[in-house]
Amino acid sequence: MRALVLTVNRLAWFVPTLLGLLAITFTISHLIPADPIAFIAGDNATAEQIAALKAKFGVDKPIPVQLWNYVLGVAQGDFGVSLYTQRPIVDDLVGRLPATLELAFVSIVASAILGIPLGVLAAVRRNSWLDHALRVFTVSGLAIAAFWLAILFQLLFAMRLGWTPLQGRVDGWGPDVITGFFLIDSAVAGDWGVFRDVVAHMILPAVTLGFPAMATVMRFTRAGVLDAINSNYVDYQLAMGVPHRVVIWRYVLRNALIGTVTQLGLILGNLIANAVVVEAVFDWPGLGLYAVNSILQSDYNAIMGFTLVIGAVFIIANLLVDVTHGLIDPRESH
Amino acid sequence: MATFRFLLRKLAADRTAALGALIVVLLVAVAIAAPVLSTHPEDVTEFHPPERLLGPSGDHYFGTDRMGSDVYSRILFGARITISIAVIAIGVSVLIGVPVGLVAGYYRNWASDALMRVSDIFLAVPQIVLAIAIAQTLGPSIENVILALSATYWPFWARLVYAETRSALNETYVEASIALGASPWRVMLLHVLPNISSSLIVRTTIGMGGTILTAAVLGFLGLGPPAPSPEWGRTIAESREFLPEAWWYATAPGLAIFLVVMGFNLLGDGLRDILDPRTRRSTDG
Repeated sequence: MRALVLTVNRLAWFVPTLLGLLAITFTISHLIPADPIAFIAGDNATAEQIAALKAKFGVDKPIPVQLWNYVLGVAQGDFGVSLYTQRPIVDDLVGRLPATLELAFVSIVASAILGIPLGVLAAVRRNSWLDHALRVFTVSGLAIAAFWLAILFQLLFAMRLGWTPLQGRVDGWGPDVITGFFLIDSAVAGDWGVFRDVVAHMILPAVTLGFPAMATVMRFTRAGVLDAINSNYVDYQLAMGVPHRVVIWRYVLRNALIGTVTQLGLILGNLIANAVVVEAVFDWPGLGLYAVNSILQSDYNAIMGFTLVIGAVFIIANLLVDVTHGLIDPRESH
Repeated sequence: MATFRFLLRKLAADRTAALGALIVVLLVAVAIAAPVLSTHPEDVTEFHPPERLLGPSGDHYFGTDRMGSDVYSRILFGARITISIAVIAIGVSVLIGVPVGLVAGYYRNWASDALMRVSDIFLAVPQIVLAIAIAQTLGPSIENVILALSATYWPFWARLVYAETRSALNETYVEASIALGASPWRVMLLHVLPNISSSLIVRTTIGMGGTILTAAVLGFLGLGPPAPSPEWGRTIAESREFLPEAWWYATAPGLAIFLVVMGFNLLGDGLRDILDPRTRRSTDG
């Protein structure tokens, strides 16, 4: 019941938070000293041409009116037109969302599959050479600049060894778009050549993004297992003759993972932040690359659209984390 | 003074924390002594095109860059930029966030709710997203990087101090001093603040690492101090078109970032174990 109230309360703040975010990004983007309209119009544009362009993009009106029009548009799913691509921003964002989601999803799943068992292992053999080695690994994962790691990977595996493609998402056109997730689309089409190509393109960016995420997963799983391993129920089960392995992987791990799940919000935030630069390095056609390009071109409608979408994704993800937390930890609901 | 000596003794006993402290001290020393330690101090502003992209050697420890300048010397001077950005940005966000958190935590009215809602909005997106937007709007310069980082980091401190203040207000010693007629400012500054200072110290240390990474991202995207600044993120971005041949050009500044962030993280973890036993990392089980 309490969990339900909390969820409803959080949902109620969803719209006001997004509105606030909108106001902040709008304020930021309208401080811009550079004039994107003059940039589009070119050096030889006449005053009339510039005025026509301003009217087209709605920037000839006072700022409060622009803000109001923008809010009205967003409410109807219209984020305005990109000053640079001259296409509706919603189309740009929706078209690029699957690339980012696919990459983020693969990275998170991989970091959980590797990070959870390694965290348990480090806790069970605490203070062994394995524990120390894994600790160096986790500390490095949180200290390394993602864009630098991405460049090192490119340097070694793509340029020197030639094992993986340098950048991009697929060679050629890629599979026919059904879901926008290339792994699924190529598998559905049964085109395993393209599937392998998609996997090859994905390895380096996914490892770059997954490394810090895995470090966080490992760190909290280890701490959680160490906390749970000393409790009475573990002693009890061991005394009852339940095998050590079963106690650890079935009972201790479930308790330990509660701590890891609460960190998912943090992991996701880091992942999104890293995705912006990692996509830029790997020329991965997702939201991050779109954001970097719009920033470099002062395309403020696109920057606002990106910020809002990321904010919405982030708030929803944190909400899901809270709900999951309530589900796997029954104590929460009392 | 006695507590400081206690802290030092504890730090020295924790090997990884001591390593972190050593790295941080070295960073500061390198930044101060950059003109003495560097082999080609003039290369921060001078170019030698005939010597461009030379590999590491006795004369150029980390090779030379696209302008023929010494990469090693430029990295030492880059430490100055990194330190000043991180220290000032964190200083400003602490100076804004801590008072906001204290006041909002002490008074329970609509104004404190409003303040916290505003910081929640900032915290609704990863810091880098808003920082990029602000830095882009203001234009590439060291001051604007500091401004972008401070403007997006203060809500974190406000939230932290707000939560700590709220829980401190339920403690008996605070209730007692309020009952004795202590003014709000006296309670906040003499009772609440000293009791949250250790968690502030821990978060500041770890925050240094995070801020250095974020500043490097801004530099990498070209939003940091403009060329020919030896800022580390910018140097990595410049090196990309000369890969894979000039591997030293990309590797050296990234290693510098890695070492420094690692130093602050290790030191922060160690300080947390000493100062904040509630969230011990349980290394020893």
